[in-house]
Amino acid sequence: MPDELPYEKMLQECLRGELRLVNAGLPRNRKSLSDLLDEEYPHVVCSDGSTHSFKKKELEYLASMVNIEEREALLLPLLIELGLPEAEAVIICKGEVEEGVISKVLNMPVTCEQGRIRIYKPQLALLRGKLKTTTQYVFSPEIVA
Amino acid sequence: MPQLLKVRPTKIELVKLKRRLALSERVQRIVKDRLSILTMEFLQTARETVEAKRKLLAQFSEAYKAWSIATGYHGYIALEKELIATEADLKVATGLRNVAGVRIPSLELMGEKRLMRGYNLVDTSSCLDHAAQLWEKCLKAIIELAESQKSLELLGMQINRTKRIVNALECVVIPGLQVTINYLNMKFEERDREEKSRLKRIKVLVARG
Repeated sequence: MPDELPYEKMLQECLRGELRLVNAGLPRNRKSLSDLLDEEYPHVVCSDGSTHSFKKKELEYLASMVNIEEREALLLPLLIELGLPEAEAVIICKGEVEEGVISKVLNMPVTCEQGRIRIYKPQLALLRGKLKTTTQYVFSPEIVA
Repeated sequence: MPQLLKVRPTKIELVKLKRRLALSERVQRIVKDRLSILTMEFLQTARETVEAKRKLLAQFSEAYKAWSIATGYHGYIALEKELIATEADLKVATGLRNVAGVRIPSLELMGEKRLMRGYNLVDTSSCLDHAAQLWEKCLKAIIELAESQKSLELLGMQINRTKRIVNALECVVIPGLQVTINYLNMKFEERDREEKSRLKRIKVLVARG
């Protein structure tokens, strides 16, 4: 059919465009907290080539929660994955440092299962309110799989 | 009422339509997730903006009071003379942050704590120090308010756009595809029934003949 191709193309473009848009802010490389504290204008480069700036105040807030060794291990921005069927949002964490930081920010115990911390909408709002620039949303690639 | 799509009633078309429907539902899921995140951020930013505005007004009122006291104490001309040398460049770190695809400005006042403000400490009093301190706080509050107001505006615009996409998918695209798929299924079932009755008729004719 002559009219089917543009229709399918439009939908696919919409899907691709949305994914490109929502995941455009993903950092190419994450930086450690100690590196960011040393920078005059702390930032990371995103996957679309733009920069994501961090607020010094937030970095200092995080630095007040961890010791010097942990500053090296804490990679920023913290990634919050959305769109998973089992939880409203999960925080991708590599080690215990992220777990400790999230626990302190939310003021509640959290458990890391298979490198992920499950949180719900009220906690997500609280976390985003305190860590606006040091957290970043990731839309799950499972949605488009 | 969803509109029926103009397609040829063939099995291949049905398969294609089912594929389109699956794709549309995936797009809808992403867009809906995005909309809920944007709404959450918008509400949070709205609360922050209200708070920042309230704080700014309170600080301005305090600063004007302190300023009036300082002016009354030193006299306007003497104060103006002292303040000529206090002009300083404002250093604001600007950047962008990405919230679910929306680029939001991030502003931060650099070098907030200044020990020396430039005026003569011998000829001035603590009234002026206090007023200057309050004005510095006002400056910080203005920058905070500017950031949250711009964020609110950008998030609002993006929410409108995303809502339109969600509505188009929910009310036009997906129902249209579902209706067409149902229509094609019914058409095929009807064809099967016709075929069966035709075969029965032929069987009767063959038996008679």
